[in-house]
Amino acid sequence: MIVFVLQLVVAGLTVGSAYALVALGYHVILRATRAINFSQGEFVVLGGLVAYTIVHVLHASPWIGLIGATSAGFALGWIYERIVLRPAARNGDIAVIIATIGCVYILLYGHALIWGSLPQPLAPFTGAQGQAIHPGGVAIQEQSLWVFALLALAFVALWLLFDRTTFGKAIRAAAVNPVGAQLVGIDVNAARAASVGIAIALAAFGGTLIGPITLVGGTAGTAIAIKGFVGAVVGGLDSPLGCAVGGLAVGVIEKLLAGWLPYQAVDPVVYALLLLALIVRPQGLFGRKDAVRD
Amino acid sequence: MIERLRRDVRALPVIALAVIVYGIVAHASAFGLQVGTYAGIFAIGAIGLSLLLGNSAQISLGQAGFFALGAYAVAWLTTNGGWSFIPAAAVGVVAATVVGLGVGLIALRFAGHYLAMATLAFGLIVYGVFSQLDAFGGVNGITDIPPIDIFGHALSNARAYWFAWLVAGLCAWATWNLLRSRTGRAFAALSGDPLAAEVAGVPVKRYKLLAFAYAGALAGLSGTLYAGYLGLVIPSAMSVQLSIDFLLMAVLGGSGNISGALIGAALVAGLDVAGHTWENWRLVAYGVLVVCVVIFFPGGLAGIYVRRGRSARKAERDVAEASAGAGAHAETPRAHSVSACAPQGESPLRVEHVQKRFGGLVAVHDVSFALEAGRLTSLIGPNGAGKTTLFNAISGVSAPSTGEILIGERSVTGWPAHRVVELGVGRSFQNARLFADLTVLENVVLGAFRLERSAFVADLLALRAARRDEHEALERARATLRDLGLERRAGVYARDLTFGERRRVELARAMVSDPWLLLLDEPAAGLNAAERATLRRDVLALRARGVTMLLIEHDMRLVMSISDRVLVLNFGEMIADGTPETVRNDPAVIAAYLGDERAAGDARDQT
Repeated sequence: MIVFVLQLVVAGLTVGSAYALVALGYHVILRATRAINFSQGEFVVLGGLVAYTIVHVLHASPWIGLIGATSAGFALGWIYERIVLRPAARNGDIAVIIATIGCVYILLYGHALIWGSLPQPLAPFTGAQGQAIHPGGVAIQEQSLWVFALLALAFVALWLLFDRTTFGKAIRAAAVNPVGAQLVGIDVNAARAASVGIAIALAAFGGTLIGPITLVGGTAGTAIAIKGFVGAVVGGLDSPLGCAVGGLAVGVIEKLLAGWLPYQAVDPVVYALLLLALIVRPQGLFGRKDAVRD
Repeated sequence: MIERLRRDVRALPVIALAVIVYGIVAHASAFGLQVGTYAGIFAIGAIGLSLLLGNSAQISLGQAGFFALGAYAVAWLTTNGGWSFIPAAAVGVVAATVVGLGVGLIALRFAGHYLAMATLAFGLIVYGVFSQLDAFGGVNGITDIPPIDIFGHALSNARAYWFAWLVAGLCAWATWNLLRSRTGRAFAALSGDPLAAEVAGVPVKRYKLLAFAYAGALAGLSGTLYAGYLGLVIPSAMSVQLSIDFLLMAVLGGSGNISGALIGAALVAGLDVAGHTWENWRLVAYGVLVVCVVIFFPGGLAGIYVRRGRSARKAERDVAEASAGAGAHAETPRAHSVSACAPQGESPLRVEHVQKRFGGLVAVHDVSFALEAGRLTSLIGPNGAGKTTLFNAISGVSAPSTGEILIGERSVTGWPAHRVVELGVGRSFQNARLFADLTVLENVVLGAFRLERSAFVADLLALRAARRDEHEALERARATLRDLGLERRAGVYARDLTFGERRRVELARAMVSDPWLLLLDEPAAGLNAAERATLRRDVLALRARGVTMLLIEHDMRLVMSISDRVLVLNFGEMIADGTPETVRNDPAVIAAYLGDERAAGDARDQT
């Protein structure tokens, strides 16, 4: 029984890592542009597909795939901010939401045109597909270990970037007070584009990490986007730590539910968790109360 | 009439004609009729979402959830329960409305992206529940639903087409009635400036809820027709994609417009069917289209041909109409007395030990005073003294941290602003908060909101009671505009007014419901000498009518010459209270306020 539960927890933490990266992406974009990017989940899928092309079509190493997908994510995010988010923001908050939903369609059905609509397997970073270690009888895929390590690395890198570098402080200043930031010589538009670039890079990074475990492509993006949001709300959208912990927690809850509930009942329960979290503690476990109504 | 409704006036007859012509032309083609019928069915839900999105400024990505409630009600009740279509559909619509109210209650707590995600989750939950429950056929859904049956007539092909568009037309008509009644103005106000709407007397939360319930009801109605027409209900047809389709319909056509929703529904339904073999390309094209529309044509496709020049000409015609109306109804008796709900007794408003903290900052500290009925009291003090904070506490904009506000014998502490307004309290803002997209007349009519009593159903069906109410409110507004010499500006949009005019219109909005208490926040700020003289005359006229007034003002000459009594606030504390003469000579006031060289200079500059 305990092994069974631990097994579910490990599986949950693995998918939860992707949710955590999506949630962090929401946090970064929200902080820079005050918008939520509904297509964040599609960028996770796209990242996995870019890595797939690099690894399986160009026959490069999975590490090149990871770096390539993440860089492509950053570039796409930069462009995305310039041609979609920024122009839409002139017409109000609801226009931004609708524009990002429009991009869900472009990305979701666009990648089906390029890569086909069936999910593809992606090679793990080390070892053979599904190769696992068995501490105490719990099977942990090698890829899961990479997922945990690289999630931690990404989190620390984000923290260093935003809290310890002038560049990060410039981005934060641009978000908090655009006019003031401009007056001290910060290029606010570039700061926003860079933030969105970082957020999309995180999504693509996440897609490549969990690709070898979940397959890449297909229609998983919407579910990833919502579950990432559930994680962000549970943990606190304005707190990076909250987003990471919340994302992991949602992954674990999902897999534990899957241990007992029929497959199709799991997602509705996870979504109901969002409504519950919004009603009971909208600022999240790690968030401040005044951050909710924007 | 709200500006964008004008578009509907021109577009709806054209659309009606197009529906009729299409029905006749496509008569022989089963496929053509099918596309047209789906367009009609989806148009119903699109109208609801368009109202929610464009008029109440709320978003829903879960309309498929309401649609599914309607569809499953018909499917289950007609197959398992043996019901006929109409009662089954009624159950479906009621269920969707009730659930819409529930979702609306959640929506009240959030805005923007939280709401979008919450409604998305709602739609997915409904989808998940229906695909899980064996009673509803699980993922296989319910089949063999009998065709729509209206008093023994089974509807299919051409009949179904005409019926779907008949229902869509009725919904369009009802929505049209709603939007040009006071409900429409309430929506325009709350989506423009919720706080000012609340202070004008609009119960903002109630109207936001109403919009959600209405959008839910129409999506549910859409679902009932869909189930009856298709004869088959499967959960996968009611997934996120349908919610997004509804959003596309509302946005592509132009949200907030009935004609926009109809055009959007026809476009999406047409493309859905026509582009079936091009599945992925079609959906990518939707994405590109919707991104382009929200960026380049925020008014939607229906709005592309509307030129600014036309609406300006129409506005001028409105002015003419308004003046003509003013002439024709000049005899309308106008109660030049204080409204009957004025509390009796010596002090209609008492403020007792009110304190207001913002975090560690104490903006108002233990302030108490009582106003005397029919007197003009001024509240003065240096910037940051807590005057406006006190106004906000009294008018229900933000409740005091401790202490009590009493109107008559009733404690109104913590009441929402629109309920304080209902007691007959009017207020203006320091920066004249008008609704930019409404005309002067419409802005002022909103002030009479608390006096209008027509029921929602009466508004919806444009019953005589609603029209009479509307007429009376308009008459009142015109009379008030006449009193203030603004009748020639009645048809001008508030955004085109000068600052001084905006202040006068705001005063008109506060006066139109004949309040017995007026709270005026720096009414003279930013006015030129002539405008100040007019203001002084208006204020004195109001006092002559017996209106109790509390005035925040920095213009000392004005304050000292018209006030019966002056209260002085400094750093959140009351430091003086008396006649202008005593306050002027009060050493504490001179030290704190007039004695300071710079403050005195400021006061001189402003006069």
